[in-house]
Amino acid sequence: MGRYITKRLLISIPLVLLISFVTFAFIHLSPLDPAEVVLHSQGVPKITEELIEQTKAELGMDQPFLTRYLRWAVSCLQLDFGKSYVNGKPVWSLLGPAFINTFKLTMVSAVSIVVLSIVLGVVCALKAGKMVDKSIRGASFFLTSMPSYWLAALMIWYFAVKLDWLPTSGMDSYKSYLLPVTVITINYAGIYFRIIRSSMLSNMNEDYVLYGRACGLPEKKITMHILRNSLQVAVSVFCMAIPIILGSTVVVENIFAWPGLGTLSVKSILSRDFPIIQAYVLVLAVAFILFNTISDIINAAMNPKVRNDL
Amino acid sequence: MTRAMRFVLVAVMVSIALLAGCSSEDVAKKESTDKGNELVYATSKDINDMNPHFYTGSMPAQGMVYESLVENTEDGIKPLLAESWEISGDGKVYTFHLRKDVRFHDGEPFNAEAVKKNMEAVQSNASKHSWIKLSTKIVNCNVLDEYTVELVLSEPYYPTLVELSMTRPYVFISPNNFIDGGTKDGVSGYNGTGPYKLTEHKVDQYAVFEANDQYWGGAPKIKKITAKVLPAGETTFLALQKGEVNFVFTDDRGANSLDLEAMNQLVESGKYQIVRSQPMNTSMIVANSSKSGNPVHETAVREAIWYAIDRETISKQIFDGTEQAAYTLFSSNVNYADVELEKREFDLEKAKQILENAGWVLGKEGEFRTKDGNPLAMKFYYDVNSSSQKTMAEFIQNTMKKIGIQLEIIGEESSSIATRRSSGDYDLLFNQTWGLAYDPQSTIAAFTSKSSYFHSTSGIAKADELYQKIEQVMVSTDEQTRKSLYADILTIVHDEAVFIPITNGRVTILAPKNLQGLSFKQTQFELPFERMHFE
Amino acid sequence: MNRLKYVLKDKVAALSLSIIAVTTVAGVFAPFIAPHDPEEVNMELQFAASSWEYLLGNDHLGRCMLSRLIYGIRPSMLWVFAALVLSVTIGSIVGFLAGYFRGKTDAFLMRVCDVMLSFPGYVMTLAVIGILGVGFENILLAFVLMKWAWFARIIRTSVMQYAESEYVKFSKAIGASHLKIMISHIIPVALPDIAVIASSSFGSMILQISGFSFLGLGIQAPQAEWGMMLNEAREVMFSRPELMLAPGLTIVIIVSAINYLADTLQVALDPQLMTSKNKQLGFETTSIAKLEGKGVA
Repeated sequence: MGRYITKRLLISIPLVLLISFVTFAFIHLSPLDPAEVVLHSQGVPKITEELIEQTKAELGMDQPFLTRYLRWAVSCLQLDFGKSYVNGKPVWSLLGPAFINTFKLTMVSAVSIVVLSIVLGVVCALKAGKMVDKSIRGASFFLTSMPSYWLAALMIWYFAVKLDWLPTSGMDSYKSYLLPVTVITINYAGIYFRIIRSSMLSNMNEDYVLYGRACGLPEKKITMHILRNSLQVAVSVFCMAIPIILGSTVVVENIFAWPGLGTLSVKSILSRDFPIIQAYVLVLAVAFILFNTISDIINAAMNPKVRNDL
Repeated sequence: MTRAMRFVLVAVMVSIALLAGCSSEDVAKKESTDKGNELVYATSKDINDMNPHFYTGSMPAQGMVYESLVENTEDGIKPLLAESWEISGDGKVYTFHLRKDVRFHDGEPFNAEAVKKNMEAVQSNASKHSWIKLSTKIVNCNVLDEYTVELVLSEPYYPTLVELSMTRPYVFISPNNFIDGGTKDGVSGYNGTGPYKLTEHKVDQYAVFEANDQYWGGAPKIKKITAKVLPAGETTFLALQKGEVNFVFTDDRGANSLDLEAMNQLVESGKYQIVRSQPMNTSMIVANSSKSGNPVHETAVREAIWYAIDRETISKQIFDGTEQAAYTLFSSNVNYADVELEKREFDLEKAKQILENAGWVLGKEGEFRTKDGNPLAMKFYYDVNSSSQKTMAEFIQNTMKKIGIQLEIIGEESSSIATRRSSGDYDLLFNQTWGLAYDPQSTIAAFTSKSSYFHSTSGIAKADELYQKIEQVMVSTDEQTRKSLYADILTIVHDEAVFIPITNGRVTILAPKNLQGLSFKQTQFELPFERMHFE
Repeated sequence: MNRLKYVLKDKVAALSLSIIAVTTVAGVFAPFIAPHDPEEVNMELQFAASSWEYLLGNDHLGRCMLSRLIYGIRPSMLWVFAALVLSVTIGSIVGFLAGYFRGKTDAFLMRVCDVMLSFPGYVMTLAVIGILGVGFENILLAFVLMKWAWFARIIRTSVMQYAESEYVKFSKAIGASHLKIMISHIIPVALPDIAVIASSSFGSMILQISGFSFLGLGIQAPQAEWGMMLNEAREVMFSRPELMLAPGLTIVIIVSAINYLADTLQVALDPQLMTSKNKQLGFETTSIAKLEGKGVA
């Protein structure tokens, strides 16, 4: 197991390096000259060519690409992503809190997705082919086909306005979690519960079940066995869901004015705040790799066969 | 790996998740708002950097916290932090007698020394303040005694008091908050002298202002004002309906976060009232005349656009009659702006004629015009948080299409539009004149400033003449000369059609019905919250 | 062919197929079908209720909702489909090369895919829009950029299976060229797999792309697009909720139809997925890939 973890980590390190390089190069494709932007944000009334050259030298932009990349990478490691073009605040002071807010939303949603998926998956698998199974699958089908923003709008209208139960937006109390988490859950549970259902079904046909039945074990005990084996799938689903949700709360956050990464990133794009966009891409990509690595390790811990695959 | 371990793993994951969920409960506070003596206003942008000597902060918020020496009112310049003042015969020395009962929020006394330090802090960052001509005229700021301070200018400058009355930069922050003896590298706190003090700020969520009970003008009746960041449109509407916020007003970029219909609906519900100021400014399209190689560089194209805007329909359908159509940059009640100018009314035929004459010809029906193979296409930026700007932009885009002009309309955050304005990276964009206190002198002075309208004015044929006249008018002491210079300036920009007026804008407040004392200042950027109270 | 017949025997699938077909035709021939010019502003008719002339009423600029809905098929569905085809093509080429030649080619191509896939989909799209600016083309570009790697991964796996089959080994033994083997032995058997993969991500792509337009990052005015229409309707959601209905329901119906058809197609073309012999390990690799592709809007 230790060897697997070491190997897995060793694979992610070059990946992180490569991604940081891509991110760095990426932002240099932007149409704005960083030196000019800095001068504008300082409100310098007359920008001359010399002044631009001078600023470039100050910013170290006259140095070779690789040198600049290394310097940038080192400062990123210290969470120094530069300053926002819009308000001059350090990028991390904006990105950090937003990341935590998005992470909270992600974790709560992931738990809710897994719980719902297990319940529905188990019910459907046990009643496979019956009415319950068919109607749950039909409904989930319909719900996953709904645009999340549309669903969110309808839910705000009904629960927050008509019934006046929940706040419409923001992140003021635990109540604020309910609507966004529900929307994310509805959108994702439909996919995950099908995985759990089919894993249950395939488990049911495993030899040990037949054997158990043949030996006359009570049906309840057999179900427990199947459940326990399927739990493993649930855990890996949970681990896989976290990075995916983390990167795709954009729409939901914007609708519910959730003060997270999704809201921040869209705002930064519309105000062309490149340092924030760059840091956002880098931080999320690294988080994505990190969570994927963790989820792989957990998967391997539970399923020795995967370990040998590396 | 045993099953037990597996179970532990699951348990750990679940509990982490639950913890993440629960820990946020400590953010829980303030449910409904209108129970007390409290206002919560919705804003689409964070209050941002409250350093009063910078320009990124929200002006209404800065207006609550900081004060200037004098105040611009309907009846002219009145005392504020200065009780009285004298102007020397040659117009170069201003002597201010300060109020003696004023303290900053941190208890530091407000005196001549504090004024001097603040003035110097502003002046030491002069390049940033070039739009405000006073900053180029101040030579010295001298302390005469504890409550008397003298401002020495390099030459007489008639709008001095008006510019000193502005929301920024000539306002005062406690010298204790200075960093390295100044403010240009930031400040360590936000202690002003104003009726409210900033007590809490969560970036992109909310900011809380509490009444300054030691305020020299008497403690304000509204004890707490919260600025809550909410996306414009239906989120704000819902929050108002539910009482999560109870106040909205036209923001400092001229954007209303609600459309008229939504506001009317809230008034009909019986909980709210709408109060509108007198017309304050002119909303307009700014054309980038200096962009050579682009159609917008041509006077004829700008003129055609001017003719092709149906202001009456905009006023009637989009603003429901609350804003009147504007045909000049400044309405005639603005000082010095009562000038005879040609009225370019909505006339599509005339617009087409102008384009034809300028060589922009139509290929096939339904296509866009071209000249020497170049298409008649321009980019038009609007504030993505303003629903009325978006509707106007779409409406104008459609009319332009009818005369063969292609407009690509792009919605961005107002900060990005401001960057475009100062870098000249635009063809057309929505903007507004700066309002009664600033019109015409500051808006016109801004024609020459890179961070404002330099790019829109510098491409016209008479640019040099224009800048010369602006320079002259600002220092002229003779009323008659000033009048004729302003007339010339306004005629030049009108003829060149670089500022295409649309409507005369107002500041609109939507407030709880039982809120009294709603009034306006001479500027669209601040509201006198300290005068408000609940019945 | 038998398999297609099997699909059509399912009544819901047949219905889905006809919905998709009708919508596609309506989109292609929009100028002939739409009753009005979708961009024609008529402020007199602002928010007019539905009438015989304007069946679905008018929007905030008095434009015909029905016409906008019909024209909206083009970007919302047809262009998305074009982007899908493009990324599947790129993905297939890469997947074929990697899966067939294995070795260093495979290792290199898969590392490239790893890098592409380590940007979560939304982040990649936002990065592209952030740099190139807001716009529909940029979103489509971002989708092609990020999806091909995912397709390449899956197609590689399926090609690998076939490349190891007996008849390919036999062809190699008798000295057939790589190209010939690929064309005559691998492409025909891999095609159904590709069809299944592509169709199953079509629905979520429509949702995602309309989501970006909804946020104001996608298509720009005055063009009609479903997400954009919903964005516009959101402004007046509580005074005129009916404006949300038409575009919202259209998306739900189309995406449901596509998803259903994709599922049926999967069962019909790939019966092995349905069998219980799908062992734990194999099951997991496919499901992870599937999850990433299905990142819902």
